[in-house]
Order: sequence, then C-alpha cells, then structure tokens
Amino acid sequence: MYVNEMVEEASVHNRPERKKRLGLLFWICVGWIALNLLAAALANVLPLQNPIFQNYASVNAGPSLHHLLGTDDLGRDIFSRIVFGSRVSIEVSLGAMVIGFGVGAPLGMLAAYRRGKFDSILSSVMYVFLAFPAIIATIAVLSFWTPRSLLKIIVVIGVASIPLVYRVIRSAAMTVATKDYVVAAKVQGATDRRILMKELLPNVAPIGISFLLVGIATVVTLEGALAFLGLSVNAPTPSWGNMINESLAILQTNPWLAIFPSLAMCLFLLCLNFIGDRLRAHFDVSEGKL
Amino acid sequence: MSTERKLLVVKDLATTFHTPSGPLAAVGGVSFDLNQNETLGIVGESGSGKTVLSRTIMGLQPRNNVEVSGSVLLNGFEVVGASEKEKRSIWGLEVAMIFQDPMTSLNPVMRIGKQIDEILRVRLGMDRQAAKAKAIDLLDLVGISSPAERYNVFPGELSGGMRQRVVIATALAGSPKLLMADEPTTGLDVTIQAQILNLLEELKERMQMSVVLVTHDLGVVATRTSRIIVMYAGRIVEMGSTREVFARHRMPYTRALLEGSPKVSNPSHTRLLAIPGRPPNMLNLPKGCSFAPRCSFATDRCREERPELEAASEPGHTFACWNPLPVKERASA
Amino acid sequence: MLIVIVFIITVGAFYLIHLLPGDPAVVILGTGDSPANRAKLYRQLGLNKPILEQYFVWIKNVVRGNLGTSFISQTSVWSTIKTALPIDVEIIFLSQILAFAVAIPTAMRSARKPDGWLDRILSAGSFTLLSIPSFVMIVLLVLFVAIKLGIPHTGPSSYISLSADWIGNLESLALPSFTLAVGSYVVYYRVLRSDLIATLQEEFITMARSKGISQRRIMWRHAFRPSTVALLGTAGVNIGGLLAGGFIVQYLLSIPGLGYTLIASIGRSDYLVVQGVVLVVSVGVILINFAFDIVINIVDPRISRE
Repeated sequence: MYVNEMVEEASVHNRPERKKRLGLLFWICVGWIALNLLAAALANVLPLQNPIFQNYASVNAGPSLHHLLGTDDLGRDIFSRIVFGSRVSIEVSLGAMVIGFGVGAPLGMLAAYRRGKFDSILSSVMYVFLAFPAIIATIAVLSFWTPRSLLKIIVVIGVASIPLVYRVIRSAAMTVATKDYVVAAKVQGATDRRILMKELLPNVAPIGISFLLVGIATVVTLEGALAFLGLSVNAPTPSWGNMINESLAILQTNPWLAIFPSLAMCLFLLCLNFIGDRLRAHFDVSEGKL
Repeated sequence: MSTERKLLVVKDLATTFHTPSGPLAAVGGVSFDLNQNETLGIVGESGSGKTVLSRTIMGLQPRNNVEVSGSVLLNGFEVVGASEKEKRSIWGLEVAMIFQDPMTSLNPVMRIGKQIDEILRVRLGMDRQAAKAKAIDLLDLVGISSPAERYNVFPGELSGGMRQRVVIATALAGSPKLLMADEPTTGLDVTIQAQILNLLEELKERMQMSVVLVTHDLGVVATRTSRIIVMYAGRIVEMGSTREVFARHRMPYTRALLEGSPKVSNPSHTRLLAIPGRPPNMLNLPKGCSFAPRCSFATDRCREERPELEAASEPGHTFACWNPLPVKERASA
Repeated sequence: MLIVIVFIITVGAFYLIHLLPGDPAVVILGTGDSPANRAKLYRQLGLNKPILEQYFVWIKNVVRGNLGTSFISQTSVWSTIKTALPIDVEIIFLSQILAFAVAIPTAMRSARKPDGWLDRILSAGSFTLLSIPSFVMIVLLVLFVAIKLGIPHTGPSSYISLSADWIGNLESLALPSFTLAVGSYVVYYRVLRSDLIATLQEEFITMARSKGISQRRIMWRHAFRPSTVALLGTAGVNIGGLLAGGFIVQYLLSIPGLGYTLIASIGRSDYLVVQGVVLVVSVGVILINFAFDIVINIVDPRISRE
C-alpha cells in the first residue's frame, strides 16, 4: 500500500536497524524446553526414584517430599516416570527429524537450485508420497512390521516426514534461488557448493528451524497417539502417551495420574509452538509456508 | 476569486502516520478550495503525499495509526473528525474515488456487475432488476462493449484499460458531486491513458461533477484542469491557474517537473531533464525547504527556514520559495 | 495424477501383508488356522503364485468390492467397513459444522482489529488449544465435563446408532465430535484470521469502503471469499486427517467407527481387516483432498485462470 511504500522509502535512507525483541515469554519457553532436554538426558544420573519400581506400600499416594507428584496405582513414582517418559518423546521426535531433515532438506535445496529434470522428477515422486495419509501409513507399517522397537518407530515416522520437509525447504529455497544475487553469484563463477552453503542455506534456515519446531511438536503428539494403540514402546517403559493411556482405567479414582503427564506434554508442546511462532514473526515467515 | 459556491474547502490539513520508525508527516499545512464543476490537478512525484492527500480529503485514510488535523468541508460536511459511520453517508454519493491500479482495486472474486450495482442496491435501495439495468447502462457509458454480457465477468477476464473503465463506472454509480481520480491512468498504455482521460472529461461535463485529478504527469493536467496544485514532501509548493503555473511558475521544483515531461513543442530527441537527487526522507525532513537539497538555487536561508506560500502577481497564484524564478513570459506547454 | 496415487496406494496396502514376519498365511489365519481355511486363503490371495501375479489376483478382487474374509471374525472385510464408515462420516460432519460455525465469526472479529484485546484473547486461546493433543483433550473433557453432566462417555454400549434413536445418537457422538471440532477450530481460526488480515490490506477493500457500505458487508461480501482459499485447502487436509487420525477419539470413547475397527483389528492381529481399512481410508483421504481442490477452483476464479 502507498503508506508502506512511503515508509519503505524512508527506511532506505536511515536504516534504523530496529531490534526486534523476542520477548520474555519466548526465553521462558526456551528455558523450559532446555530444562526438559537436560532432565531427559541426565535422567540416569539425577537423584530420581526408579520409574518402574512398584512400591505396593504407597499406591495412589498424593504428592509428598518423597514422591514429588505422588505415585500411581502400582506405587511407581509419577515424577520420575514423567522425566523418564519424556525421553521416549524426545528421542522419537529428534530421531525422526534427523531422518526427515537429513534427507528432505538437502534434496529440497538441491531441487530448488538445480531445477529442470532433477527437480521435476523428484518433486512428482514426493508429491505422490505427500498425498499419502502419513498417519495411517505409519500405523499400518508399525502394526505389520513386528517386533516393534524404538528404532523402527523413529525410522517409520522419519521416513514419513521426508516429503513434508522436502516441500517446505524446496519452496523456501526456490524463492531465494531465483533472486538476482544468486543468479549473479552463478554468473561470477561461484561453485555450486558455495552458493548452496553461503547463499541458500542462511536464507532457508529460519523457515527450516520454524518447521523443525512444528515437526517436533507433531511427532511428540503422534508418539502419544501411537502409545494409545500399543504401537509405541512396550510397558513398563514409561512414555507420556503410555502414562496417560494407563491412567484412563482409574480416571475417576485418581485423576492426577492423567493430569500430570498431560500437563507435562501440553507444556512441552505449548513452548515449542510458542517458540516457533515467535521465530516466524521474527524472521517474517508467513504461516502459509508451513 | 469567483463567487461560485465552493464544493470543497480544505484548511490546514495534515496527515501523520505513526510508523514503527516514528511519526511520518505525509501531508502538512495544505489549504485550497474547489468550485462546483471545476477540475483541479494535484501534481507531484511519487511519495510527495498526493495520494495520501486525496484519501484524507475523502476521509478514507487507514483507520489505525493515523492522525488527521485541520478541516475538510465537503459540500457542507466536515470530514476531519467524522466517524467512519458518518463518513459512509457521503462516500459513494457525495464523493467517489477512482483508484490508481485497476489490477488491485477490483475485487477479484466478485463479478464486475455486482461491484457496480452494490452502491445502487445498498445505498440507493434499488431492486435487483433496476440496479442491474442501471449498471449495464453505466458499463455502456464508460465505453464497454456488449455491457450485458460483461456484467457477469470477473475482473481477471478484462484488460487493464477495461478494468479501469469498470472502476470509473463503479465510482459514477452513486452520481457523486466530487470525483477524486488518483493517478487514474498510471498502469495503462499511453493510448489507453488518453482514452480514459478523455472519457473522464466527457463524463465530468455530462454529469456536472467536480474532479480532482491526481497525477505525477504534468502533461496529463495541462489541458484538462483549470487549476493546478504542485506538491512536494507533503506540502503545497505552488498553486495557481493551469495557464499561470505553466507560463509563469516561480518555484524551481515546478520547473524541474515541467522539464521532466515531454512537450509537443520540443524538437524530437530533446533530452528530458531528470530532477537530480532523490525525493526526501519523509521520516527525517530537512529543516528548511524540503526541496533545498536538490535545488540549484538553494541558499543558506532555504536550508534553515521553511518558506510559506506567498502570492504571485496574478490573483490565486501562490508559491513557496525564497529565491523564486524571475517572472518572464515562457512558451506555454 | 489421482490415478497414479491411488495405484501406488493399492500397491502399498497390498505389500503390507509381506512385511509380516514368517509365513503370512500362518499369521493371517491366526486362530482360524485349518486346512480348509488355508486353502481358501491361498485361493483368495494367490499366495503360492509369484508376487506380481498375487497383486493382480488381489486387486481384481478389490475392484469387485471383495476385500477378503477375515478368518478371525469370519465376516467379510467389506461389510465390517460398511457398518463402521458412516459413523466416521457423521462425527466428521458434526465436528466440521461446529468448527466452522465458531471459527468464521471469531476470525472475522479478530481480523477487524488485529492486536486488539479481543484478538489477543482469541489468539492466545487458540494457541493454547493448539498445544493440547486430542487424547489429552478427551481425558480433560471426560474428567471435568462428561462425568459431571452424565454424558455417556465410555464403555462398549455408549454408542447409539442413528436409526435407533437420533437424540441418543447425537448425545453419544457429542464428545467425540466436540473434541475433533476443537482441533479443527484452532487450525481454521488461525488460517482464516491471517488471510483475512492480509485481504483487508488490499486496495479493493479500500474501494469497497469508499462506496459507503457497512463494515459488516465489507467483511462478508468483499473480504471473506478471497480469504478462503487457504482455509479450504487446510480443511481438505484436516478432514482427511480426521478420517485417518480419528482412531484416538473413537478408541477412547468406544465409538465403533473405522478407527476403532482398525485398532481392534491390530489388537486381534486381524491383518486382512487392517489392510482393508488402510486401503479405504487412504483412498478416502485422497478423494477428500481432490474434492476440496475442485471447490477452491470454484470459489476463487483467479486460481483456475493461472
């Protein structure tokens, strides 16, 4: 609009270098996620109760100094189970994203940079897989591909995420690859490797990071859903999904059993979503691109 | 000046946008008036505030982060300070606007006929049939062939020139007394430009309207307006009858504008003079005359003190300059 | 394209059986293993033939509507799916009506004054809801609403069919529909809000304003339709996702739809039913997306012209 033009015109002159602030809430969320990651990584060294030890002497106990969040119907420490349970969610989501981004992101950038036949063949293959309902494919493969293991879960979800990552990264890289300065760099004889790393990557990274956060949140939810179907890790290994699922049977007698892991999961997701949202606003990425 | 009743009286109008980088005075200290049935030209480079001025006159500035002061009396209605609801009563019926870019000013997912007869149905309470008939008449009036069939097309199916005709038809639907034409031909081919401008002139006579023609092109206003306002950095720098401004302009910026537009009287291949320098930074205007940094006549006074509009020899001709060009007869364009 | 995708889906669904460890016949027959059944299964799947031929045997049956007979429940897979599918359709239908009915007006209100107090509240609310997975939502709903209000929420008898008692049917589907509606609402609200804000910046909105028509009319007649393209695209994906991912809600609330059937069959190792559901749901998702693409072309004439 005309006002924007005037403002733009004005900012060309004095480039105010406006510092966009991410806000306190953003850093609180980053802190919470970091705390979660740290606790999950160090769960074995931390002074936590054994998450699978069944103490029949204190069943369905309320919060106490000994059991911070109380115990479940089998006398297991809920707090410790939540911390250990977060490991499954975090391992699965990070592992799957390593696969998804490891394969999808370079392919997407290459396709956007090379264009031509490479791009059109790869993109149509990806499009076909994208049309596949990923959830149902994941469930189908996991239910047939026995015996199940954490690694298989990671591989299946990771592979299913490749086309999604590919699409997002490709379209982000595409807008950069057609810019004049990339064309100029090409004409000046810059190597492909240099252009990809120095020109494309820094511009694609903000979108990639935002999408990564959305992806992690999605996988955490998906792992929870799989736990309900008994398609995730087997009992007694705790995971957030497992814990919520197990709590349903005694929902009315001990609702805390459902509420604590739900809260842990929702807070984790809320923080991820909030960080992603703030970053998108910070880097001016429109929501439509994800 | 003449004793005709004024349709529009603008006094000390100022429009300030509150941007993230600070206040932006897009329009400041603008005063002028407009007679019934007159065509007034507002000329300036892009970014000179002429579009903001034309919208502020209508009260059509964005709703948020804008501050307007001064007074705009439009046929007795005070626009400045009126609520959106109050302004709706004059929009479309008293004053209408032809927008700059016909590619973006029509709703892409609404049939053009519906866009034209919206005013007729909503504001004038016509029934569906009567409104449709009137809309088809309007399409015919603005020179669109087979109007009855075109009534049902989407804007994307029309060329730029045709779309601008639709925009004009929409503006005319409420038979406004004042038509604000904001760069009505900017996006169009040269031949189409002339067609559209001639059409506007013809319609103005036929419908007894006053027209404010906003443009960056002095050639456009030369033959079609009775008076001209030249704007720079949101302020009026020269104003007067078209003949006077072309023949005896005093402000160096006006001369620069004139030298930047092609003239028929020039021998062919005459080099057009571009105005040196860049338009000013509206967020950080120079202290004195805004044009001083680009003006070859500028003195220390120009850089320190802002000149106010002062009267020239002919009544109604004013200019704002400390070192005006000498008065001598020039060949009119 | 559509045909290619459907073809690949059939290959995928067919191949699932061969992911099973060991002799598929043994696994598929499960508790129903007997020489007669074994012979029947071999006929049905052509298991002794080369794999390419097996596919043709299988796909020929599928095209005829024969997805095989489960040797565990002794019923035809297709008839199992036929009784379950309408429940999914009804839940999705109800949830979408609810989601759109709330999302459209709230997005409109938010977009009218972005960053106003109402927009802030609505956006923060949608953000929080976005972070609550459907299964957590159900747990919360059961805990805090259903138990208190006495809404049927669990147990195998909680579902009442539409033909038996339509009020009871609506009551029994209230919780699942509401849960899915919440998830859909968040997505629709956010997409529509951001598109509306963008549309309201457009010049044609200023032009509509200059006609002196009401704010209400500008929102509904001018701003809404051009802002619905992304919304419809999202709805297509989301509804497909509800069909594919509705199993959680159905499982938790014992609603015998396709998702419930899927989980129950996985639990019973009833692989032919799993295969059939996967196939039907996958094709259904594709068709839903396809249908929405067509609707988008009708709503926005710009797209089909490009």
